[in-house]
Amino acid sequence: MIELLDVHKTFNQGKPNEYVALRGITLAIASCQATVLKGPSGSGKTTLLSILGGMARPSAGRIILSGREITSLPERFLTDIRRRTFGFIFQQFNLIRGISVLENVMLPAYPCGESHSLLRGRALALLELFGLAGRAATRVEWLSGGEMQRVAIARALINDPAVIVADEPTAHLDTKLSGEFLEFMARLKGEGKTIIMASHDPLVCEAGVVERVVEMRDGRVVAGGGAP
Amino acid sequence: MTLRRSTVFISFTALGLAALFVIAADAGLRGRGAAQALAQKRWLVKSLALTDLALFTDARYTRHPAMADLHSPFQDYPISLEHFPSGSLMPPPPHVRTHGRR
Amino acid sequence: MGGVEKQRCIIDFTLSSLLRRKGKNGALLVVYTLVVFLLASVMLFTQAIRKEAAAVLADAPELVVQRIVAGRHDLIPLDYMGKIGAIRGVRAVSGRLWGYYYDPLFGANYTLVVPEEQAGGLGEIAVGQGVARSSMASEGNIMPFHTHDGRLVSLTVARVLPASTELVSSDLILLTAEDFRMLFGVPAGVATDLVVAVANPAEVPTIAAKIARLLPDTRPIARSEILRTYDAAFSWRSGILLAILAGALLAFLIFAWDKATGLSAEERREIGILKAVGWETGDVLAMKFWEGSVISLSAFLAGVVLAYLHVFVAAAPLFEPVLKGWSVLYPRFRLTPSLDFAQLAVLFFLVVVPYAVATIVPAWRAATVDPDAVMRG
Ligand SMILES: Nc1ncnc2c1ncn2[C@@H]1O[C@H](COP(=O)(O)OP(=O)(O)OP(=O)(O)O)[C@@H](O)[C@H]1O
Ligand SMILES: [Mg+2]
Repeated sequence: MIELLDVHKTFNQGKPNEYVALRGITLAIASCQATVLKGPSGSGKTTLLSILGGMARPSAGRIILSGREITSLPERFLTDIRRRTFGFIFQQFNLIRGISVLENVMLPAYPCGESHSLLRGRALALLELFGLAGRAATRVEWLSGGEMQRVAIARALINDPAVIVADEPTAHLDTKLSGEFLEFMARLKGEGKTIIMASHDPLVCEAGVVERVVEMRDGRVVAGGGAP
Repeated sequence: MTLRRSTVFISFTALGLAALFVIAADAGLRGRGAAQALAQKRWLVKSLALTDLALFTDARYTRHPAMADLHSPFQDYPISLEHFPSGSLMPPPPHVRTHGRR
Repeated sequence: MGGVEKQRCIIDFTLSSLLRRKGKNGALLVVYTLVVFLLASVMLFTQAIRKEAAAVLADAPELVVQRIVAGRHDLIPLDYMGKIGAIRGVRAVSGRLWGYYYDPLFGANYTLVVPEEQAGGLGEIAVGQGVARSSMASEGNIMPFHTHDGRLVSLTVARVLPASTELVSSDLILLTAEDFRMLFGVPAGVATDLVVAVANPAEVPTIAAKIARLLPDTRPIARSEILRTYDAAFSWRSGILLAILAGALLAFLIFAWDKATGLSAEERREIGILKAVGWETGDVLAMKFWEGSVISLSAFLAGVVLAYLHVFVAAAPLFEPVLKGWSVLYPRFRLTPSLDFAQLAVLFFLVVVPYAVATIVPAWRAATVDPDAVMRG
């Protein structure tokens, strides 16, 4: 359960190019559900995702994660919570080029200090799950778009997070791959994960897995807000 | 399972450090082993009243830099531009450079 | 043990990421190792030879008195010995007979020395290893010499000086005083220079000053000056080697600096990704630290070990051409190895630390950005 209380975000505060991206967002996102943030370009979806995922701090307001206020935690704790709670899937996949698929997947777990062989076993199991077992040693830039996306999902899952956060996940995918992606999300939701996506792709907003669509405009929630 | 890269690096570093210790031990051992040779050299220096190392035999001020003379500026003034390579390794001895300034 | 495992994982990643540019980083490593190797070789060599010179020449004459005539070193009359011997504090005075002989056959310069205690008989000589090598003479052989008045005399090699003394004896030919005077036409009443033994070493400067006052045409040279000569000759800063190396080192520093400090857009993006997937600033900096250390530490260890092998096992073959110069006769000597840890530490701080720092510092700013930057590609 993630709660946002009157969250504001102002970029470049106090400077001439000051920009208010979020203007008082109050939202509660239930666990084990799939929620989509929808809205026109510039409405603040990405900003909201990064704030609720602990990547950026709000200018005002509070974020409560499973009853714990995380807004004012120091970086180390925040990073630790973020690492264990959220798995991010980025629009451009953001894989690290030149290194192997396996290492890309293991990357988010390196700072945890877990035993290397255990970690490797988990990563290989995940790759197996996504049909990439044969490509573990391949460099990521040699993968096809669909494979890259599956690597990105596997990487998001390596720390076994409770919440999957995906920003415009289907923007670079064709219809078939988008459908595949939504199937993966359905499977993860079935395993009890919370899914939060930002998208204005109707394919995503109208997908069967999605329980709730929150509409945004100009940094405000205009529909589907409040309690779930 | 392939070897971890960090294992390779750590082994290499450990090997390098071990080699450093071996070297240090070797230096100590050979230093002790050279004591006799050193004694022979010292004895020769003492008995022949030698003043210099026989490193450079090309000119008299490189063969016996400690005995170099002060007064031959055109022939072998120690600061003159050098045409022997070893001369560039042998700066004029301090007692020549500071002569007259003490 | 989590911390160790974490650092190992970070090293894994660092190495994978360095291996992406195998050629470039490999070249960097090789050049880096070479620089350390050359610096360390010079350091080890000069340090060892200075130590050796100090140890070997510790028993050199306390005071040598030369006579100067018209600005040149000249033969000194033996009756100066009486005047010097009368100075208080002087224990003994003796004349040294020595000089140079150019052997036109082999193009080599020899140093002819008359030992104080007569060793061989008339017509017999003892030769250093270098002389034996260059003139292919061995015990029992005859060596021809041109005398000052144009005659050719033959002296018999009675003995070859031990190889262990080559550093001081390589070009020596020991002969009797009679043969020396006959060869060079040095009259009986003079010597090459005088050697003065002093009762109390602390009085050497006073006695030297007294000699200079008493015999104004002489120049006394103290043992401390002899030792200082060698210390200066091989002192760490002196020598063309380091001058040349300094240039190479500077070029390398510029190259390494550029390599280490220039954070490419790609690297910046990667740091952003690492932060976004859950790396802390400290983890990113640790990664950069290892990136610098892997290269510089490896280069340091390899360079130092290679330098030791070069200088003390292979007897510094790379320096030989420079040291030899035009000498036809060059001593073959193996320096007594010495490893000065303080000097190694200096080298370490000169070559390893700056590179590691130069890799971390530019990453600092990139590492402290908010991880969300990566969400807007
Ligand atoms: N670092 C920043 N500095 C200044 N302005 C920013 C910054 N990041 C975002 N903005 C602005 O905040 C607004 C909201 O951006 P955001 O990326 O959240 O929109 P979005 O809803 O995700 O849009 P899109 O659908 O195009 O991805 C935009 O107008 C953007 O220009
Ligand atoms: Mg966006």
